[in-house]
This record gives sequence, C-alpha cells and structure tokens, in this order.
Amino acid sequence: MVWLGTIINGVLLGGLYGLFGVGLALVFGVTRIVNIMHGEFIALSAFIALGISMLFPQVHPLLLIVPVVVISFGLGYALQALFINRAMRLPDPLAPLLLTFGLSVIVRNLMVETFGVSPRRIGQGDFAQLSIDLFGISIGVLPVVTLTLAIALFLALQFVLRRTEIGRIVRATADNAEVVRLMGVKPSAVYNIVMGLSFALAGIAGLMLALRTAFTPFSGVERLLISFEVVVLGGLGSFWGAMLGGIALGVAQLVGLRLNSNSGFLYGNLVFFVFVMLRPNGLFGARQ
Amino acid sequence: MKRPSPPLITLIAFVAAAATAPWIISDGSISLLFEVLLMLAMAQLWNLLAGHTGLVSMGLQCFVGLGGYTTIFASNSLSVSPYWVLPLAPLVCGLVAAASAILLFRLRDAYFSISTWVFSEVMAMLVFITPGLGHVTGMTLETARAIDYETFLVVNFWIAAAIAGASVLGIYLLMRSRLGLSMASVRDDEIAATSIGVNVWRNRFIAYVVAAAGCGLAGGLSFLAALFITVTTAFDLNWVVAMIFIVIIGGIGTLEGPIVGTVIYYGMRELFTNVFALSGSWYLIALGAVAVITMLIAPTGVWPLIRDRFAIEWLSIKREVPYRYASEAGATRKRSIPQDQSYFV
Repeated sequence: MVWLGTIINGVLLGGLYGLFGVGLALVFGVTRIVNIMHGEFIALSAFIALGISMLFPQVHPLLLIVPVVVISFGLGYALQALFINRAMRLPDPLAPLLLTFGLSVIVRNLMVETFGVSPRRIGQGDFAQLSIDLFGISIGVLPVVTLTLAIALFLALQFVLRRTEIGRIVRATADNAEVVRLMGVKPSAVYNIVMGLSFALAGIAGLMLALRTAFTPFSGVERLLISFEVVVLGGLGSFWGAMLGGIALGVAQLVGLRLNSNSGFLYGNLVFFVFVMLRPNGLFGARQ
Repeated sequence: MKRPSPPLITLIAFVAAAATAPWIISDGSISLLFEVLLMLAMAQLWNLLAGHTGLVSMGLQCFVGLGGYTTIFASNSLSVSPYWVLPLAPLVCGLVAAASAILLFRLRDAYFSISTWVFSEVMAMLVFITPGLGHVTGMTLETARAIDYETFLVVNFWIAAAIAGASVLGIYLLMRSRLGLSMASVRDDEIAATSIGVNVWRNRFIAYVVAAAGCGLAGGLSFLAALFITVTTAFDLNWVVAMIFIVIIGGIGTLEGPIVGTVIYYGMRELFTNVFALSGSWYLIALGAVAVITMLIAPTGVWPLIRDRFAIEWLSIKREVPYRYASEAGATRKRSIPQDQSYFV
C-alpha cells in the first residue's frame, strides 16, 4: 500500500515535470533552439506569481495563472523579437544556445540582486497542504490539480497545433522555414509567438512549483536539468513523450527516495540514462 | 638567421615569467594567478572538445570533482603527500571518461550535451552517498600536516603553470598534427570525414578522454590547494559555465581565444569585486551581458575580431594550402575553392 501511494504520488509529481518540459519541447520542435533560459524563467515566474499574490492576498492562488500567463507570454515574445531572432540568422548553430546561456546568467543574478537568496513560497499554506484520503493513501489536492492542468494544457496545445490556422502555420514553419516565406509567412513572427507560448507554459510551471515548494533564484538551474531530461526522454519536440517522460522521472524520484532518503534525484537520473541508452531518439522519437 | 616564430617566443616568455613570478609579485597575486592558470587549462580543454572536435559537453565539472576527490581520498587513505597521488586524478578521470564514452557517444548533439550534464549529476550523487567520502560535511586533506607551508603556494603555482602551458602547447602541437587535422574534419563535416576514411568515433574518443584527464588533473590540484572538498563545490556546474564563457567570449576554435577570454573573465571579476566593490552577482550580470553582446555583434569571439582587424598571427593553427595545389586550384578551379576558412584550419 505504501508503494502504491509512492507510485501514485510519483505520477502526480510527473505532471509538474511534464509541465517543466513541454515549453522547452515546443521551442525545440519549431525553432531547433536549445533554450538554456527555460529554467531561469520557471524561477522568475514563481517570483512574478509571488509578487502578484502579495499585492492581492485575497485572490485564490490558482487564479494567478491568468496574469502569470499574460506577463510570461509578453516576455517570451519580446525576448525572441529583440535577441534570439538575431542570433538565429547567424550561420553558427550554437549561437542561439550560447545567447540564451548568457541571458540565463543575467536573469538568475538579477533575481539574486532583486529578491535575495532566502527561500520563498506563496503564502496560502492551507491550499498546498490539502489532501484527500483514498483507501488509506494520502493524495495531495495540489498535485492532482497540477496533473489535471498539465493534461488539459497538453490537449489544448495539441488541438491548437493540429486543428487551427495558427497551428498549421507553426507546423509548416517547423518543417521548412524557407518555403513558408513563399506563402507569405514571416518565420521570425512565428518564432515570436512560439517563444511566447513556451514562456507562458514555463510560467504556469513556475506558478505550480511556487505553490508546491519553497524556491530561490537558483531553483531554475535544477529545473532546467529536469526539463531537459523530460524533453530528451520524450524525444525532442514530442509533447506526449514529454508528459510520459515527466511521469517516468517523477515515479523514479519518489521510489528512489523511499529506497534511500539521501539519493536526491539520483534514481531519476539513472532512469533517464537507461531509457536514453535503449532509445537514443527518445520514447516517441523516430527510430534511426 | 631565421626569425623565431611567435609561438616559440610565447613559450620562452611564459616559462621565464612563471619561473620568476614568485620573487616579483605578491602572494595574493600568485594565488590569483594559480586560479587563472588552472581555469585557462580547463577552458582550453573545453575548447578542444567544442571548438576543435565539435563535442559540446556540459559535464566537464564531473572530472574536476572526481579529480579532486581522487587526490584527497588517495592521499588520506595511503597517508602520502598529495603530490605523489596527484597523477592518479587524470588516470581515474581518463578511465571514467573512456568507460562513459561508450554509452554517451551513442547520443548526438543536444542529447550528448545534456547527457554529459546528467552523467556529472549521477557521479556527484554517487560520491555523495558513498560511505567514507565525507557525505555532507566534505573531506579535509589530512596529510596537510606534512606539507611545507613555506613553499606550498609557490609549488602549486608552478604546477598550475606547467598544466596551463602543457594544455596550450599540447593542443597547439595536436592541432598541427595529422590527428588534429582529422579532428577538425570531424567537427566540420562528419559525413565527409567518414567518406575519406577518418574514424569519427575514435577521434572524438581521444579528445574526450584527454579533456577529462586534463580537467581531472586541474581539479585535483585545485582541491589540493584548497585542502578541503565538498560535493557541492567539486561537481559545481559553474566550472563548466566558466569554461564556456571564456571560450565563447575569447573565440571558439582558436588557441588564443581561451587566453583572451580568461583575461577578460578574471579582469572583469577583479574590476567589479575589488575596484567597484560590487557584489558577485553584478559581476555575473556584466559577464552575461558581455556574452550576449559578443554573440550578437561578434559571434566568433573577441580574438578573431582583433586578429582580422590588425592582421596578426599569434598561435595560429591555420593550415596553408600546399603551394603546388594552391596555384593549380587558383588557376583552374578558383570558384570552387571553399571560401570558409574552417576548411583550412
């Protein structure tokens, strides 16, 4: 029964990890950029959410999603338009990666200067502590909400990409950025929107993280590694793969911690290695 | 008499400066230079992978940490001077790199970069949970009692200078050799390299093991000098972050780039923390800004900019097209000569 509880909680934790990875997977799928800033942005969104919740303490924390999504989308859009599009025009494929690397160092240390390094969390402790008892297994309400939200967002993203005009344009740009120009599409404008969406998803992930645990400006780096693992496990660019990858990591981490409480993320990392060695292109990636 | 070449002058000047420095400059400057020289060596090794062989690793901190732990653990358990066991650090790191390469080389590009980082995290956790390696509290170099503190600083400085000098000289000679040429061909075009009989896997393997062993040696000496090691400082991501910064800002794929980058990196640190007396995070913000500006204005780095502006050659590893073929090609196939200079380095 204890093990069943561990696995269920691992799956729920995987919902959060899936959210970490999905924005990264989206950007990689469309622009082929490995966005090193992703982790920093998760941490920054947590601080943005904290700031809003301090200004309006009576608002339910889950409603913070709306302002966080709007601000994050704007920041992602601006960042792509101002910096990353310029780097993408360079012949060196490493340039955008190194640019986001420089930006991540700037953002992280600006957060250190502005917010300090002491751990923060969003105050509404009662909501984060709520749990339901299901046949003797204690399940947190917040993790259930997180997983549900993650699945809903994945479905929405899938719908937008498969069934709408903008989704078709995004997929066409991902396939061939040169040819879409002939059809009157400006790839850089598409990239702006995609980066905005990716940041909005990272923003939601940051909010859920802030509700769940304490965070510091350095929380981003650890989450970047998890985001990367989720994306690589799923096969770069695949959303459902990212979700399953997140769940695999969440279960591995909690089972590992039950086996050895000192192991941290060791078992998650080992599971990553085993999967990646068996399927070098990811669970949902194309076979070589 | 033939004029001595710039690399030879540089080598002689470097040896002379390193040998006399302890009598000329203060102890504080010597310990700063110790750090600078080790970082220069590590940056050169990261550049050997990313700039000369095309392997972008985000996990070299793994070998810095392993080298440090190997040195301190071996010295403590054998009760011998840490200098005697320092050669074990590159040996252990080289072996670990060779074993992990068999797995990691199955992965490509971004997958490889990320997996090297994950590998480093795994090693860090394994060291953390292994009994006898200090767990959270870390390990102190117990044989430090036997060390002669009069000469400790100077001896460490000279070893660091030797490591830095060897990394520059070694990579210079390597890149001018046949093996170096085949490494560059792997970086520029894997398929073309394979088609002319270059063994891609073997070239990458050699570069990876050499870089790991070198970082292990540098890490071993660094923690030997610190007399103390913890998992957080040893396997710190900031090791590789510094290497990446130095190489990008200075100029990736050149030998001079990491030297220029190291000067900028430490110059800015001293300027911000000592002259302006600002906190460390402002220095990092400025460094990030320099990296972003470099990427947008001069994506090849600062050194290539200086080199092309003033038309100077320092430690160039560029190859000339043999005269016979150059004239032939120039006369008959001028338009088909690749203009991209990377074909000739």
